[in-house]
Amino acid sequence: MFGRNFGSRRRRRLVGAVLTVTSLVALAACSSASDSESKDGKTTITLSMQNPDVKTADPATWAIVQAFEKANPDIHVEVSGQAVAEHLQSLSIAAQSDTLPDVFWVYKATAEEMLDAGKLMDLKPTLDDLGITEHLPESTVSNFTADDKIYGVPYQGLLTGLWINKKILADNGLQPPTTFDDLVNVAKTLDSKDIVTISDGANQSSFSVWSFLVWLDRFGFEEKIDGILDGSEKYDNPAFVRMYEHIAELRDAGAFASNVSTQTYQQAVDQFLNGKAAMLDSGVWASSAIQDSSVAADTVFWNGATFDDGVGEQDIVMNVASAPLVVDHRVADNDKKLAAVKKFLEFYYSDEAQQLLVDNGQPPVTDYEPEIDAAKQSALKSALDVAADPNLSSPRSQPDLLVSTAVSSAMYDSIYGVIQKQLSPEEAVDLVQKALDAE
Amino acid sequence: MGSTMVWVSSRWKIALMLAPALVLFTAFFVYPVGYAIAYSFTDSAGFGAAKFVGLDNYVALKDDPFFWQSLRNTVVILVVSLVILVPASFALALLLRRRIKGGGGLRALVFGPAIIAPILVGLIWVFILDPKIGLLNRFLEPLGIGPIQWIGGDTLTPYSVSLVFIWSSIGFAMTIFYAGLQLLPGDVMEASQLDGASPWQQLRYVTIPMMQETFAIVAVLMITNVFKIFELVYMLTGGGPVHRSETLVSYMYFVTFTNQRYGSGMAIAVVIFVLGALTSLAYLAMARRRSLA
Repeated sequence: MFGRNFGSRRRRRLVGAVLTVTSLVALAACSSASDSESKDGKTTITLSMQNPDVKTADPATWAIVQAFEKANPDIHVEVSGQAVAEHLQSLSIAAQSDTLPDVFWVYKATAEEMLDAGKLMDLKPTLDDLGITEHLPESTVSNFTADDKIYGVPYQGLLTGLWINKKILADNGLQPPTTFDDLVNVAKTLDSKDIVTISDGANQSSFSVWSFLVWLDRFGFEEKIDGILDGSEKYDNPAFVRMYEHIAELRDAGAFASNVSTQTYQQAVDQFLNGKAAMLDSGVWASSAIQDSSVAADTVFWNGATFDDGVGEQDIVMNVASAPLVVDHRVADNDKKLAAVKKFLEFYYSDEAQQLLVDNGQPPVTDYEPEIDAAKQSALKSALDVAADPNLSSPRSQPDLLVSTAVSSAMYDSIYGVIQKQLSPEEAVDLVQKALDAE
Repeated sequence: MGSTMVWVSSRWKIALMLAPALVLFTAFFVYPVGYAIAYSFTDSAGFGAAKFVGLDNYVALKDDPFFWQSLRNTVVILVVSLVILVPASFALALLLRRRIKGGGGLRALVFGPAIIAPILVGLIWVFILDPKIGLLNRFLEPLGIGPIQWIGGDTLTPYSVSLVFIWSSIGFAMTIFYAGLQLLPGDVMEASQLDGASPWQQLRYVTIPMMQETFAIVAVLMITNVFKIFELVYMLTGGGPVHRSETLVSYMYFVTFTNQRYGSGMAIAVVIFVLGALTSLAYLAMARRRSLA
């Protein structure tokens, strides 16, 4: 019966041949789509970012891409994005099959592992050729250099600290704090009135401890990190224990929300924007949201508390390059793509694109001096004014960007662990030390 | 028809017909499991050459307090779920089997949570259990109770996750029991009634023994589902504070994708696989021994 229905052996062979050819054509189509260099005659480059919706979550990058495509009608930038964890997951899967996006955002530590594995393009010749290197801060270039290769370029600036709602402080008879003792006093006063001092959110955003990473630098992280990494010094040292003791002191003064462990970073931002917290632990990227909120006129940027018992320079502001943009090594083997990526990088670090960064609430990453509308961008101006303060210096990098992802996770856990009273200061430093020892 | 049987019964044709399923099973189950097992013996970071490290990743788990915490949490959720979920869903099925007005609607209502994506279930329950903004503490506040750290603390979180898991799974388990009850032979039930068995005796000595297979199916499904809990924890607490509320799967995800320690993550995945399989087999063996007895 089956034999009759299927017909002769010849017919079966014919069906088999048709199916085989169809499959091959489909595979060929897939392959050409994934390696597509042209779309409507355009060269396509892929840009993969760490935000699920780049257009709304990262308007600065979106604006630059739009302007770039307008200026280069023969190039199409295919932008995609996912949340950080999913983005990193996709990258590692892509790296294994050698199908990384052409240009992508990645943590510095991961980028260095990818460089070791031969997955990234050396950008040094390109950047030198385009004259970009000379416009980038020296610390940024050295930060993204390994084995004499420049593997990354700064995606955006990382200007972090605390946003302060001056009105909440003034309404409660308080002045903006300067020292740690001032900050503890503010926390005690606000806590007695059931007001959150520092808005933080650990749920799905354990990395949101930027202002405390600056504290690490106020306790000598920069001087110690090389020794910590080569094993000659310990993270578990008296200065760092003292720093964590100060976090505990601040916690005991009632500085944090009782649901700090269940609220997300975004909820922490909303708490501040709704006038329910006096300070927000964040960075310059929050300036646009602040500007669009009712607290804009009362908000100023603060580089954080100084410590009497700190180690080294206290007058610092965290104004460094964020995690880098890197380029897939295969781009170097494809002339059309290489030319398109070069044009993209040249545009990204042009004055026009840097101004677009500023227009979208980000600081420039080159030596470009931006134009800022003080009325319409008061929050951003406040942050940039602090960054430009000649009395303040900046560390060369944010502490978590100088260590592996496992160690940086342990650093975040250690800070939130003390904030949430899950770890003592000694246990906190021990947690990070163990992560370092496991490297 | 006879020629069809001959055509189908030839050995290579049977193999040919099984081949697609076998290929899919190998591609989507055997290969990934084998791949995970192989990678659990390496220091893979997800890219680049992976170095063979023998049992190092497994030995490291022994000293990893977060791994033990996540295992403890998973066991708590498993025990609470089995102790409450299985009897509760069976009781619901018994209740809803009766001819009551609006029974169909009630069944749909109970089944409702089972069709909500786990990520949304987590989101809904954050707004109920959150210690500061949650509805539950708002209700308890006027009674002078709390605020209670239902989630985000280091004590109640696994129990809260169990509660949410029970809420989201009870409809599904109830439906399996309900279907099992519908299949019970009417003559046996009628005979027991004629023999003068009370409703309790009928339940104890007829219904439950005849439902052993269904109990085993529900229990194994729930065991395997508990070993897969991820989204609930991800939404409720993100595993925090400081990994105190991680389950095995959420911690495996953290180690693999956040810390980018693929070798260690795969070692945890293998442990989950083995524990899930062993617990299910142990339950099945226990159920079989009981039914034979």
